[in-house]
Amino acid sequence: MEQWTGVLHLNAEDRKGKTVAKNVYYQGAFKVMRPIYHDDSGRACYYLLNPGGGYLDGDRYQMKIGLGENAKLTLTTQGATKVYKTPNRFAYQESEISLQAGSYLEYFPDPLIAYQNAHYKQKNVIKMHPSATLLYSDIITPGWSPEGERFSYKSVQLLNEIYMDGELVVYDHLHLKPALQNIRGLGFMEGYTHLGSMFVVCKQMNPSFLDQLYSLLDKNTLDYKVGLSLLPVSGFTARVFANTTQVIERIFSEIHRHISHEWFQTKQYSLRKY
Amino acid sequence: MDDKILALFQLCDSNFPTGAFSHSYGLESYIQEETVHNVETFSQWLQVFIQEQLLNSDGLACHLVYQALEDEDFQKVWKLDRMLTVQNLPRETREGSMRMGERMLELVQSLYEIPALLPYRKRITEKQSFGHPAIVFTMVAHNLGVSKSTTVLFYLYSVVSSLVQNAVRGIPLGQTAGQKIIREIQPVLVDAATAIGQLGEEDFGIVSPGIELSQMRHERVNIRIFMS
Repeated sequence: MEQWTGVLHLNAEDRKGKTVAKNVYYQGAFKVMRPIYHDDSGRACYYLLNPGGGYLDGDRYQMKIGLGENAKLTLTTQGATKVYKTPNRFAYQESEISLQAGSYLEYFPDPLIAYQNAHYKQKNVIKMHPSATLLYSDIITPGWSPEGERFSYKSVQLLNEIYMDGELVVYDHLHLKPALQNIRGLGFMEGYTHLGSMFVVCKQMNPSFLDQLYSLLDKNTLDYKVGLSLLPVSGFTARVFANTTQVIERIFSEIHRHISHEWFQTKQYSLRKY
Repeated sequence: MDDKILALFQLCDSNFPTGAFSHSYGLESYIQEETVHNVETFSQWLQVFIQEQLLNSDGLACHLVYQALEDEDFQKVWKLDRMLTVQNLPRETREGSMRMGERMLELVQSLYEIPALLPYRKRITEKQSFGHPAIVFTMVAHNLGVSKSTTVLFYLYSVVSSLVQNAVRGIPLGQTAGQKIIREIQPVLVDAATAIGQLGEEDFGIVSPGIELSQMRHERVNIRIFMS
């Protein structure tokens, strides 16, 4: 069994309307802060920390999150995920998320910044009850290099699998290899530099909600381009191209606000970061 | 062997009525945005579509399904049917593939008696499986005794030849220009089929974000000649 660079296990449950940790375990370069309750909804908000500041050659991270019945959790990171150059072995992160009946998870990690020659692979496996709700997003930036050159990373591979009642219902697989692909060109990033993806699975989804989102987001602008579509289960996916992280965050925040307002009659709170 | 190849040709014919003539796989979004408007831009688009979507989804599925049929591992075939469907995030292309798969299945059942088709059809009727032309095509090719690499190559060709016909109508391009594209794309298809032979299940379903986004945006194209 290979060693993990960092491990985080978090199980949360609902206790009289308030979500609390049943057990939290972390080891190595992975940590979670004490939960914050942003409002009186009982929803706990956890910030993930990477005390090492970034992922290095051959690093392997594992996260397991479990939500009991009706537990409500927001999960985010404290800053961007930075993957430094990996001359020998790719850096890897896997997450296993299990959502029981009536539970609600928002998982909004900060953007991914892959440095020059970085090779990163990430796999998220989410197993959910049909009555659970999932909101997930990720953002891939063009990375960083000392010369300011964009797309100088070697490879970024992101895999998302969502299972419902034991059956695979969503399979999302991106693999960007800028040296081998015309990444800015037609069919890839279409001239944009940042790519955002969002998955929302919730039994309250209906086709007219997608129409509302389109009219809210699909403006005649060159700043971004958005695609939305219904999933084979009750929910939708969004892909966004833009030239800055902020533009994608604004769009995802808008979708989040609309969902909170329309489906849960709650006000969205901002994830303050210091 | 010639008779087997000839039999598979029938399924590759762009006149084989599976409904492929009404699907552009997002090409129509590019046509409307005028980023694809002539032979050059279409050829560029087609190459990305083949190498970054078709290869890793339908093409690789043919390869894996063929292998599973060799092993008589039907659970694996049904798993691939599901993976092909749920990795297709844009609703129109996903539902289009399901319709084409079902239509093709009905058609080939009236032409052949292939045992594997029966449980597949039953599963689709009972909503346990979704239906996909790549799987039906591979079932027929495998039953005919055509080799795995030829099956993959012919399937890629069948998708591309329909797509070029659609581009000829949609952009529009001249008929001769269309045939020239089909001729020039052949080495790309041969390379793609060779590449697929080297891939495994862990490579399945990788998509190009731009092509996928355009397939999602096609839902909002108002005046359209294609269903996807």
